[in-house]
Amino acid sequence: MTQGQSVEKILVPFKSVPDPYAGAAASTSKSVINPFDEIAIEEALQIRERGEATEIVGVTIGAPAVDEQIRAALAMGIDRAVRIDDARALDPYAVARILRALVEKESPQVVIMGKQAVDDDSNQVGQMLAGLLGWPQATFVSKIEFLENKTRARCTRETDGGLEIVAINLPAIITTDLRLNEPRYVSLPGLMKARRKPIETLTCEQLGVTVRPMTTTLSTSSPTRRAAGTRVGSVEELMAKLKQEAKVL
Amino acid sequence: MVETLVLIEHDRRQVKRPSLHAITLAQQLGGEYALLVLGHGLDEIAASLVSYGAAAVIVADDPALAEPLADRYATVIAEVARKRGTKTLLGTSSTFSKDVLPRAAALLDAPMVTDVLAIEEMDGSIAYRRPINAGSMLATVKVEGDRRVLTARATAFEAPAANVAVCPTERFLFDAASLPNGVQFISREQRASERPDLTESRVVVSGGRPLRDPETFERLVGGLADALGGAVGATRAAVDAGMAPNDYQIGQTGKVVAPELYIALGISGAIQHLAGIKDSRIIVAINKDPDAPIFQIATYGLVGDLHQIVPQLIESIRRG
Amino acid sequence: MDFAWSEQQRELLDAVGRFASKQLDYDVIANDRDAVFNHDAWKKCGEFGIHGLPVPAEYGGLGMDPLTTVAALERLGYACKDNGLLFSINAHMWTAIIPVLSNGTEAQKKKYLPGLCNGTLIGGNAMSEPNSGSDAFSLSTTAVKKGSTYILNGSKIFVTNGPIADLLVVFVTMDKARGADGLCAFLVEKDSPGLDVSKKIEKMGVRTSPMAEVFFTDCAVPEENLLGKEGAGSFMFTKSMTWERGCILASAVGSMQRLLETSIRYAKERRQGGQSIGKFQRVADKIVNMKLRVQSARHMLYHCAWLRGQREPVYMEAAMAKLHISDCWVKCCEDAIQIRGGYGFMVEYEVERELRDAIGSKLYSGTSEIQRSIIASWLGL
Ligand SMILES: Cc1cc2nc3c(=O)[nH]c(=O)nc-3n(C[C@H](O)[C@H](O)[C@H](O)COP(=O)(O)OP(=O)(O)OC[C@H]3O[C@@H](n4cnc5c(N)ncnc54)[C@H](O)[C@@H]3O)c2cc1C
Ligand SMILES: Cc1cc2nc3c(=O)[nH]c(=O)nc-3n(C[C@H](O)[C@H](O)[C@H](O)COP(=O)(O)OP(=O)(O)OC[C@H]3O[C@@H](n4cnc5c(N)ncnc54)[C@H](O)[C@@H]3O)c2cc1C
Repeated sequence: MTQGQSVEKILVPFKSVPDPYAGAAASTSKSVINPFDEIAIEEALQIRERGEATEIVGVTIGAPAVDEQIRAALAMGIDRAVRIDDARALDPYAVARILRALVEKESPQVVIMGKQAVDDDSNQVGQMLAGLLGWPQATFVSKIEFLENKTRARCTRETDGGLEIVAINLPAIITTDLRLNEPRYVSLPGLMKARRKPIETLTCEQLGVTVRPMTTTLSTSSPTRRAAGTRVGSVEELMAKLKQEAKVL
Repeated sequence: MVETLVLIEHDRRQVKRPSLHAITLAQQLGGEYALLVLGHGLDEIAASLVSYGAAAVIVADDPALAEPLADRYATVIAEVARKRGTKTLLGTSSTFSKDVLPRAAALLDAPMVTDVLAIEEMDGSIAYRRPINAGSMLATVKVEGDRRVLTARATAFEAPAANVAVCPTERFLFDAASLPNGVQFISREQRASERPDLTESRVVVSGGRPLRDPETFERLVGGLADALGGAVGATRAAVDAGMAPNDYQIGQTGKVVAPELYIALGISGAIQHLAGIKDSRIIVAINKDPDAPIFQIATYGLVGDLHQIVPQLIESIRRG
Repeated sequence: MDFAWSEQQRELLDAVGRFASKQLDYDVIANDRDAVFNHDAWKKCGEFGIHGLPVPAEYGGLGMDPLTTVAALERLGYACKDNGLLFSINAHMWTAIIPVLSNGTEAQKKKYLPGLCNGTLIGGNAMSEPNSGSDAFSLSTTAVKKGSTYILNGSKIFVTNGPIADLLVVFVTMDKARGADGLCAFLVEKDSPGLDVSKKIEKMGVRTSPMAEVFFTDCAVPEENLLGKEGAGSFMFTKSMTWERGCILASAVGSMQRLLETSIRYAKERRQGGQSIGKFQRVADKIVNMKLRVQSARHMLYHCAWLRGQREPVYMEAAMAKLHISDCWVKCCEDAIQIRGGYGFMVEYEVERELRDAIGSKLYSGTSEIQRSIIASWLGL
């Protein structure tokens, strides 16, 4: 636990996902940092820029191809990055167990990560990691303030019923919601500097974890599309359809 | 032993109706199921749950559980599951269950499947169908191990029928003093709304970016919703622009709705938004761009300026 | 010649593409109508690193080779529809930054380049005058040395970025009798006494790029702001002009690529006579021509930039690239309009603006006629 003026270390796990802005029509889908994780990175950077944290370490799990997203994270401004070399299709629980090993190695005071990855939409890893570590968690967070010499954080959470405010003891896991911040873009000078920052590669073996995914995707399919409907020409026609055809009014 | 444990949500006064839909999935899974409810001062809530065909209603009632703090709730839920030999721990997809259940899964050393839409028999075991990529794809997944945690999409399962048989209510006893203490509840912003709950309403009217400001949003989207007795939703663009509060957001990262009638006002139809409305029975789109993607899934599309059309529509509904 | 991108180049180009499509894909119709310059987008481009692409890191740039630089600008032109903003950036890079970088003293470079690179300073170039256009060296704005200052008198026209510029590269004569050998250039800061900038000049195209006339009335410029040597003006101008000609239309190639893609989409979707119009040979031909033009324009752009990277002279190649790309751009815009029929003529469809924007490219940085004269003279004619 830090007693000093700033949190010593923030760990930001992030995932590389197909670009969600590319749209279905895009033929070559590029990978990007999961938008929620990008928000987590931005938040960590802002905390450091306010002088409330010293070091930001990023971590991702994947094959060497994800180095491009790692460099993007370094270019945004994180201090260093770890890639855990594992090309398997892992499930959230496997990811959480690997991350636990890394958290134990790095001992950050705060882990900030996206609430969900937009490819898998599972929304599990942060909570599982918190459970495995026995750390407090604040999920779906749209505001973070540190309290009492960085021993606690006050977090605003976005829940179905509206905003909820909790305080959590550190070390803790925080998962981000969309409105926490607007991530900066990677600048070219940042990208050039990122090339000189270290990317450490570790294997699960080196971390001393053996995990096997317990969830397997058997198949994927396209959902049945809604049949294209009809155009109406006026409010009167719309009202008539809703009353007579759809019978919802 | 209860095969399946269904986590039920409430707002202290009453049960949240969508959380009952998970019971239907429990029934489809077969075997005995119990309902689990946590909180403080739960007598009435527990009493309202006794007729859903469960083996028991298990109540964890303690001042330490007065607020839904994930670390405490997950600990108690995992303890109940372990003591009851539960194979499947189940909840309905909501921010509450998504906060608490993955943590419970980790405590139970169990894998988890989020947003189950349907189950299938596959080679003698059960496979789960769930949406991925903002609902643009469906994945069929199976899990290993003898325990699993699921959340069910409320819109994919019917509400369970209440029957005459009444099941027992059991109080789950635990040592509140040994619960984790790392999270402290501070406050909750509860808006009193006269309108029905977004995820339960028969009619939902949503607005997008062109609604401009909170006043226009309320006048047009709110006005039409009130004329129809419906709930109000919004796109992320509208929420980000401050026209509507955060919990109005519908879509991949907001709420999923499936009303009888969904009316989209000035909404382009990005897949992230469609992910939350696809299962609505009737979708009406009003948009000035004839090529807006929303028209591809709308049951009825009306091309035009919403600032002119919506007041006419309200007027027409009021006239009856 | 090898145009295969290295991993580093690809990463950089992808980053430019992503930046531009997220930050610069804004609505241009109103800005074009009202001739509004987008300061915010300008600043973002500076911070992102566009302006400093070809400038060495010690002066605040990225030290990119010419080929990578033009390819990056091409990506920018593809994703950003604000040709006026891109024109302002190009004028800033090729007619202000490059002259300072190539001819400035160490002190001048240290003083101006970092700001010019990061978007805080805006540069422009004042060469053309009411009575000297194509025949640029016949200019008549004068400079007279008085102690440690130079006194400038005269007027300049068509100064891109004039209304917003912090720093102007101004060409003047010190001795009209010596013709081209009497020319020199100054770095004139915006608040210099005796410098007046007219209000914006309204234009047919690139309307979001502000332009002004500039007047000098006993305008005193300190001697340390002399750029290069007295009498070296025409040499400097010719040299930086080859940069300008070779690079200024890089973003136009991106714009053409975008027009090609949107035209293909339109030709597939629009149905007439029971089929999509792309099935009509006369429509398909237009698209094939667009494709040929984009491809050949891109090759000329890359070839010229690659040669420059090899430190080869590119006087003729730059003139050819400028001539060819501007021609292709205008023709692509005409085709894009024609393919869309009456819709193409409507402001909402955003191709009529593209045509208006493209036409200027046959005029600035030397008219097409002048490019032809240059090519002819290099061919010994
Ligand atoms: C990771 C991620 C998660 C996301 N999650 C969500 C989510 O959960 N929910 C969500 O909604 N979005 C989400 N988004 C955002 C989504 O991609 C879209 O940006 C958003 O849905 C667009 O909102 P909109 O339709 O209001 O705005 P726009 O896309 O700007 O559309 C506005 C529409 O209004 C029409 N219009 C304009 N003026 C008028 C008028 N006068 N009359 C009639 N029509 C008019 C226009 O033609 C246009 O079609 C997410 C994005 C990402 C990347
Ligand atoms: C959008 C735009 C931005 C500009 N920005 C700048 C700027 O930032 N700074 C600046 O100094 N200037 C700028 N200019 C001016 C530009 O460089 C001149 O317009 C150009 O050099 C032509 O000069 P002129 O307009 O005086 O035409 P003229 O030289 O009068 O030419 C008129 C016609 O005669 C032809 N012609 C002239 N001489 C010859 C010849 N020898 N052989 C064959 N044909 C000939 C020309 O090709 C043209 O068709 C800009 C112009 C435009 C359109």
